[in-house]
Amino acid sequence: MSAAAEKIARVSRRDFLKAGAAGSASLMIGFYWGDSSQASLATGAAKDFAPNAFIEIHPNGEIRLIAARSEMGQGVRTSMTMILAEELDADWSKIKVEQAIATSDAKYGDMTTGGSESVRSSWDPLRHAGATARDMLVMAAAQTWGVPASECSAIGGSVIEHKKSGRRVKYGALVEKASALPVPKDAPLKDAKDYRIIGTSKPRVDGGPIVIGEAHYGIDTKVPGMLYAVVARPPVFGGRVKKFDAEQAQAVPGVKKVIEVPVVEMPPLFGEERPANSGHQHYLWGGVAVVADSTWQAIAGRKALSIDWDPGPGAGESSEKQRAACAEMVKGPGKELRKIGDPAKAFDGAAKKIEAEYELPFVAHTTMEPPNCTASVRDGKCEVWAPTQNSGGMATALASALGIPASAITIHITLLGGGFGRRLNIDYGVEAALISKAMDAPVKVFWTREDDVRHDFYRPMSHHRLRAGVNAQNQIAAWMHHIAAPTTDGVYVGGDIPDTGGTELAGTGLANGTVPNYLLEASFLHTAVPRGYWRGVDTTWNQFAVQSFIDEVAAATGKDPLELRRELIATKAKPEAGAGDQAPVDVARLRRVLDLAAEKSGWGTPLPKGRGRGIAGIAGWGTYLTYVAEVTVANDGGVKVNRVVCAIDCGQVINPDMVKAQVEGGLVFGLTAALFDEITIEGGQTQQSNFNNYPMMRISDMPRVEVHIVPSHESPGGCGEPPVPSIAPAVANAIFAATGKRLRRLPFQTQDLAKA
Amino acid sequence: MDAISITVNGKAQSVEVTPDTPLLWVLRDTLGLTGTKFGCGMALCGACTVHVDGEATRSCTTPVSTVAGRNITTIEGLSADGRHPVQVAWLNEQVAQCGYCQVGMIMTTAALLAKNPKPSDADIDDALGGHICRCGTYQRIRAAVHEASTKRTALVAAGETR
Repeated sequence: MSAAAEKIARVSRRDFLKAGAAGSASLMIGFYWGDSSQASLATGAAKDFAPNAFIEIHPNGEIRLIAARSEMGQGVRTSMTMILAEELDADWSKIKVEQAIATSDAKYGDMTTGGSESVRSSWDPLRHAGATARDMLVMAAAQTWGVPASECSAIGGSVIEHKKSGRRVKYGALVEKASALPVPKDAPLKDAKDYRIIGTSKPRVDGGPIVIGEAHYGIDTKVPGMLYAVVARPPVFGGRVKKFDAEQAQAVPGVKKVIEVPVVEMPPLFGEERPANSGHQHYLWGGVAVVADSTWQAIAGRKALSIDWDPGPGAGESSEKQRAACAEMVKGPGKELRKIGDPAKAFDGAAKKIEAEYELPFVAHTTMEPPNCTASVRDGKCEVWAPTQNSGGMATALASALGIPASAITIHITLLGGGFGRRLNIDYGVEAALISKAMDAPVKVFWTREDDVRHDFYRPMSHHRLRAGVNAQNQIAAWMHHIAAPTTDGVYVGGDIPDTGGTELAGTGLANGTVPNYLLEASFLHTAVPRGYWRGVDTTWNQFAVQSFIDEVAAATGKDPLELRRELIATKAKPEAGAGDQAPVDVARLRRVLDLAAEKSGWGTPLPKGRGRGIAGIAGWGTYLTYVAEVTVANDGGVKVNRVVCAIDCGQVINPDMVKAQVEGGLVFGLTAALFDEITIEGGQTQQSNFNNYPMMRISDMPRVEVHIVPSHESPGGCGEPPVPSIAPAVANAIFAATGKRLRRLPFQTQDLAKA
Repeated sequence: MDAISITVNGKAQSVEVTPDTPLLWVLRDTLGLTGTKFGCGMALCGACTVHVDGEATRSCTTPVSTVAGRNITTIEGLSADGRHPVQVAWLNEQVAQCGYCQVGMIMTTAALLAKNPKPSDADIDDALGGHICRCGTYQRIRAAVHEASTKRTALVAAGETR
């Protein structure tokens, strides 16, 4: 019996007073929703079991499910409903999903929505809860009819049938009886071949309100007595307010008050232990807030502010200096992260040596709904309405910043107008709470697009030096990869220190484990520029370097890029996905998506002049994916991505249409960065501000995307992030195929492709 | 602050705001019509698109004083029942991911089809080129515009005007 199956019990409404609805005779099944480590801790004694989530079946047939994850466009509410409906054999239309409210007792466990984890972490608990409830309903039907339970079965649509007599009954009529039955210990899960709902393309359960303008995002929050605020934040990262003159701002009609927002220290983002003497450097931005009767008045008030800033030690930073520093660092040795064999010796003795360096810039998230948060801090209590991926981290930070116990905090998670990792940060929530506290009134803090672009937690810049040694048999004998970059994790966990690097390695795979002599090293760039998790995280940079370099080795050795990839993952190989992805890479699955993408794209067939195909693939987040991109390069160097063929194996698919949507969208996210995105720093400040100088892909840039899903009953893999990292190298490789020119820096410097 | 009269979704409204206040914030903060979204504040992304006398207009850069006395339609007033052919097509194609930008896309598409009932791909690129969807739903948007075009043509043939 799995840990998830042990974590199920019938519960009374008393256990869930706050969540309970009217009426008394419903069937409530409690289960444990949280990370697997917590679940296994609680496995021991049944008396210790405290369910933290539940499903409830009402006499009228309605089924409630509390979703502990945030909906940010990935369709998680729909996936969860589908998983539950499958095992429960429920009437699909009768399941109502409610957003869990984050409270201090962490009732729903870890509610963080990121890392492409939502479906993966819901899969087991929801299936077991659904199967348990179904079993109890079947038993109740059997008792009602006086027949053996083995003769009764759930036939879908919330109906149980006694086949011999043809009698049928709906779940609603059984809940009172079922709720008095003992909870079965090991209700059997369905065989995948019997799935009726999982694996079908269901429409989004929450799609309707979006097209009529009634979907409620954080920015749409309005509570009685609410004021509106915008904040002038230090333009230089790490800067502070020296002094400010609020007189003119105060004179703007509607402006209520101008207040300083303190630079409070923030706790680690995900409840991590902060190492002693870590040099922790994670603070709230600070600045000056203008509070008014409306958003526009607050913005007008801010324009009238006069602030004298202390720029702080970051004022000397610039992108050019950072690029030069990283380029210098990769020349020497770095911190050794992974070593197989004797790479230096193998490289020195190689018959052919190939070297290349790659560069990626800082990039911003620019969620279409900018950061915002509404907070009401009064009488020692804090209530927050936030579009957040990280309610747990926000609660911890609010308690710390306000000096109140966690039990005084309630977070209502609204819909998210995009997340992409930006909303794992909780800065905007803390700002709202501090301003509300100062005003003794509910306050909505609004960020303009300029605020968002200039005060993001950027995907770090990075510089990569790749070296390969090819032996006399024309095989790769040595592979060395040196990454120079600022840390991501370190920012939150232990300050800006070099040796916390935990996630910088993901996506270095393929060569890692497949080449006999391998070296991965890293050098760390210190910077005041804030960094954070950006859809696809560090894999986005490592994939660009590694998947481009494989192509360069292919060209240097006269091999077809697809053939070299097949060679690298030949049967004896054990490639690693990289840190953060513990599961070993299944070479057969990797090979299948490579072959499928090649087949569907017509790999190897002729293309018109000026057009080329490029291939790149990935194993990560439990998913395998390969792209073949088809690109046309114009005489002036303009790059048009015409077509992208994707083969994806993400294990058991819950909803194929949503997998396709995630691929289409992840591809656009990665391609936007490849073609356009670059945050540059000068004088310690971000130089970009809005979509005019930080452009996004538009509809006319959209390639034709074809997604081919490998049928599978393996555990579900993630789908949010895997489609992002491989598109940039696939396109770079296609540009090389079209022109013979290799672009090694993102965004692509397409002027280098122009014909003289 | 003098009162400014505007007509929103067929209803005459009088609002007391400074004349330079963008229509977007009048709709959202003053009138509580939050279906229209803020995206950039510079008419660069299309999230705030409404109709002014039937023309797709960026409300984030439209001072409310310039639309006094004119007919403004927001997503809340696009159809009485939420079943405008564009809205139906958007659901059928399962366009939305986070959904935040889609209202603007829908408003521009409705205005496009009213003028050009059978848009080509190039027409669609032209009309929607000013919009940004960060979730990357463009392929489905294109399909939905074509579907809406077909639906709308059938409705018009049947005597409905939308």
